[in-house]
Amino acid sequence: MKKVLLLLILLTTATQAQEKTGIDSKKNEFRVDVLSALVWQKASFSYERFFGGAFSTGFNLNFSDSGKLNDDFERGYRNNVPKFEINPYVRYQLSKGKTSFYFAEVFASYNSGDYKEIVRLVDNNLNGYYTTKKSTYTDFGLGGGLGYKMYIKEAFAIEFLAGFGSNLTNRDKSPDVISRVGFNLGYRF
Amino acid sequence: MKKIHYITLLFIGLLFSNCDTNDDDFYKTIYVEGGNNIVRIETQSTYNVGDYLYVKADLARYIPEPGQTETALLDIYKTTGNASQFVFSYVIERKINATDWEVVTVNDNQLDIISGSAQNGAYVYAICNYNNTDEYYRYNVGFPLLTAGNYRLTFGYNSSSTNSVEMVSLSAPKNLIVNLNAAVDNLDNNGYYYFTVN
Repeated sequence: MKKVLLLLILLTTATQAQEKTGIDSKKNEFRVDVLSALVWQKASFSYERFFGGAFSTGFNLNFSDSGKLNDDFERGYRNNVPKFEINPYVRYQLSKGKTSFYFAEVFASYNSGDYKEIVRLVDNNLNGYYTTKKSTYTDFGLGGGLGYKMYIKEAFAIEFLAGFGSNLTNRDKSPDVISRVGFNLGYRF
Repeated sequence: MKKIHYITLLFIGLLFSNCDTNDDDFYKTIYVEGGNNIVRIETQSTYNVGDYLYVKADLARYIPEPGQTETALLDIYKTTGNASQFVFSYVIERKINATDWEVVTVNDNQLDIISGSAQNGAYVYAICNYNNTDEYYRYNVGFPLLTAGNYRLTFGYNSSSTNSVEMVSLSAPKNLIVNLNAAVDNLDNNGYYYFTVN
């Protein structure tokens, strides 16, 4: 019995030692979202910290200045346009692979942008008229997503991510729905 | 198999990306209930071949705005960023048998244009031009009645209303649009004015 226990302990230790080599020893990752940059003219950067188990955490920064969204905003096809987001997230690895796996995440979002509304004013001759008034909004939201990640040479990351959430505190002005969709390229070290 | 996963994930992602806002709508149109008789059909007791059916519009720059107590009048010229035209449309049809009607079309040069302008095709596209002197948008165009028969006119071609007409400002792309709903006399419950040409 003692021999069996000793063997189990040795096996476990050996397995752990083996897992901590290679990609497991790399705890940090930076990524850039190529899809957001190309399609939505959004600069999107992410950092992720791995803890060695199934969980990891990180944050995502977005700066948006999409010509199409700005034009739609100016032409009145939408009443807000997102400019900045910071999205902290926690991820859970759904599959067992070390260099390719599915994951689920929950995220929070602090986001801000421009907002436009139609207001009625009165001119010097006491005649009413309508015009647009621009301001900014900020909001806080929560959401979740699913993704797939794979590594090349245990360092270069390719990641697909699709998720969405909802703004919670200022929905009259902010977008109701927050999306986190991306094709990220990154480096783990 | 993995490729299917990638494609599925990308597809779901694109679906979500299209849901990035539920605010994709127009945020530039002001809807106003206008007064009666801004648009009028110049009716006659009898019509003969060769007569014209005139439709006339006189839209003031300053109009009453129901529900506003702070000030009585709304400046639609200023609201639209000095739009020089308002448009509306109407259709003239002739009865061709017991149940069917056909749209009557004429060449634009056959219209009797007194003020404003018009384009005739599947419907008459009526354009009210702004006059800086009297500060009115005006339209007065006669449609030639070339054949005897039973006719009807409706303003419902580009509009959801039946007994009224929608007048829409031709505003510059980044300016507000005024959509004015004005009741019209002489229309029946289905939005038609019927007349006979002898």
